Amino acid sequence: MDTSEDLTESSLLVVVLDVGLSRATTLRNDPALAGQVLEAVIAFSNAHMMMRLKNLLALVACDTETTEWIYPESKADMSDLRQQDGQHELFNELERTVRRKIAQLLKRSAGSNSKGESMLSGALGRALCYVHRMQQEERQLNARVLVVTANGQSVSQYMNFMNVFFTAQKQNVLIDVCCLGPESSLLQQGCDITGGQYFRPPQPQGLLQYLLWVFLPEPLLRNKLALPPRVKVDYRAACFCHRELVDIGFVCSVCLSIVCKFSPICTTCHTLFKTPGTLPIKPKRKKAKLV
Amino acid sequence: MDELVKKTPKDKKINCKNLHDYLKTLTPDVLDRLYNHPATCLAVFRELPDIAKHYVLRLLFVEQSLPQEVVASWVSQAYSKELLEVVGVLSELRVWQETSLTGGLVGRILNPTFKKNMKIAMNGGQDLKKMFSICYKAILMFRGKPWSLSAQMEADAKPRDIPFLDKYASERWECVLHYMVGSQQQQQEGGISADAVRILLHAGLMKRDEEDGGSTCITKEGFQFLLLDTPAQVWYFLLQYLDTVESRGMDLVSCLAFLFQLSFSTLGKDYSTEGMSESLLVFLQHLREFGLVYQRKRKAGRFYPTRLALDIASGKGNVARNSSHPGFIVVETNYRVYAYTENNLQVALLGIFTELLLRLPNLAVGVLTRDSVRQALRSGITAKQIIDFLRQHAHPEMLKEPPTLPLTIVDQIQLWENERERFTDSEGVLYNQFLSQSDYAVLRDHAKTLDVLIWSNDQRRTVVVTKEGHEEVRKFWKRFSKGSNM
Repeated sequence: MDTSEDLTESSLLVVVLDVGLSRATTLRNDPALAGQVLEAVIAFSNAHMMMRLKNLLALVACDTETTEWIYPESKADMSDLRQQDGQHELFNELERTVRRKIAQLLKRSAGSNSKGESMLSGALGRALCYVHRMQQEERQLNARVLVVTANGQSVSQYMNFMNVFFTAQKQNVLIDVCCLGPESSLLQQGCDITGGQYFRPPQPQGLLQYLLWVFLPEPLLRNKLALPPRVKVDYRAACFCHRELVDIGFVCSVCLSIVCKFSPICTTCHTLFKTPGTLPIKPKRKKAKLV
Repeated sequence: MDELVKKTPKDKKINCKNLHDYLKTLTPDVLDRLYNHPATCLAVFRELPDIAKHYVLRLLFVEQSLPQEVVASWVSQAYSKELLEVVGVLSELRVWQETSLTGGLVGRILNPTFKKNMKIAMNGGQDLKKMFSICYKAILMFRGKPWSLSAQMEADAKPRDIPFLDKYASERWECVLHYMVGSQQQQQEGGISADAVRILLHAGLMKRDEEDGGSTCITKEGFQFLLLDTPAQVWYFLLQYLDTVESRGMDLVSCLAFLFQLSFSTLGKDYSTEGMSESLLVFLQHLREFGLVYQRKRKAGRFYPTRLALDIASGKGNVARNSSHPGFIVVETNYRVYAYTENNLQVALLGIFTELLLRLPNLAVGVLTRDSVRQALRSGITAKQIIDFLRQHAHPEMLKEPPTLPLTIVDQIQLWENERERFTDSEGVLYNQFLSQSDYAVLRDHAKTLDVLIWSNDQRRTVVVTKEGHEEVRKFWKRFSKGSNM
């Protein structure tokens, strides 16, 4: 074993699963697919745990209303756990916990009838907090986050997303995105900023194989394996006033917030601007006549 | 022209194989049978190089064999050397097989037994049962009864907690070590069984002293063994044990499978012995003796694996510092070593390479001297082993700021070792008695370009080349001398 391997002895993977993906348009035609996605994510998590003894895993789920911590549980109840069918105990525990908690979450959200965007940024935030805590506890932990979602066009959370992405970059945490819905430029940006992999499986049915191929290798290993090339990233920003992506906009000179229409007072930091167009007229300097 | 071959025997170092090296020594037939168990597959998988792991996972859900070229293209061009290694390892361990595809291509497919059991380890057998109902039934028939470590059973009336198990395991293991050192405490604790002694003898860690009425004494390898960290000791010991398993009439495959299963179990949980075969029960009793499992009574029907057992599959080296054993050694820059311990074994170990100055109830003080270290080196211990031992048992105060050990001490111990190794041996062939300086120079330069030159002397016109290069150089010389004669 060489030294580079020692450095990466344990790696932490936080999976952020967007439960709201069952409502996504691409998946609506095939209701069984949502179940398959969950299966694939569980199998993928097991695969990650299988890679090394000291690998760690966490799973956060998010919905349109709430984010939920799925795994590991704060107080694990191992007492009734018995090995079955030769599956490794740890994997069995993981699978059961995930299934139970996801079912709880779905039951709760089934009652409420809200339509909106998933709280993806919130879940990402929680994931990063967890990573931070684990890094305090254990040195030399390389961490990454995998987002599995179907609706990434959460422009209303633009600011939150950007904060999360830059925090992740600073923390040295990769954000990988597996997008099952329409292309999301926002999440693409996140991957690009943090150095993660953005991938949109052409056939969601074979999700597990895609996950294993693209997202399982650790960051250090990725340059050794042939992986899909980086996508070209759409770096348009969303304006703060209407939450729409803009090509050209106005930027506050004090707080750098972006707006699509000019307003004399910055909505974020309340700075007063002078009206454009009427540039101050230079007072004509009176030149002394040449004698 | 004289030819001379230099050769000196090297000191025998004890070679602690890792799991991979061990599995390589097994016959293909045994390997195939081993893969019948999910736990073994998982253990083998964990020991593979990183890229190989990904290869296995990528192929795991592919039902047909893939052309070799496709498989090779998964690794980018720049790392083709690692690819070769991966391909070698996977073939060696029979994890994948070669098949022939239509059109004369060579295909790769995972060993079906390995694949099936990996899936079971990963996802459980339930879904697979539907998919591979026929295969699954076959396994059940093969095993007679699906023996999974923990059949449903009621909770233990007196469950044992983790600290208890740790204490038990270390006591049992130290018993073995005590026996080796031959310190007095061992008599009080009852010693170890004849079986364990036989394994120590077999491993060459101890030898029978013929003069002294057949009593046992420790060998050079035994000293090295003592200075290893505990997981490495256990692994080495088990390897030796497994060597003798066949001669005891036990099945190597089932023992190994059981060991791996143990190593993936959970600390502090009890498991049932129900359904275990007679020979496995014997094996369990042996493991119990070495502290790998805890059993209240021989017929208790349940056992607890201990930390020693769990560390097996993790291989050597990547095991966390044993929390139940805080370090006790303080090393100062003045070569003094303070050991805060009452344990005779630890003091005896320290005495191998230090000169003990005084012994207080809870403290032993020794000093590292050139003589004491050289004596240890002479008995076959390496400087690295001494340093590792000191580092491994460093007192918590020493761990507070790096480096754990004073650099001067570490350097000095290494220097003392180097002092004994001023000569480096290499096998070679000597060429001398050249007729002219130019002949000598031609041969020397040729050897240099072939990169086989070990040593040359211009005054005495002498060249030494490596053994491998000898043939090449000789041919060259023949051609050259023929050419110059004509």
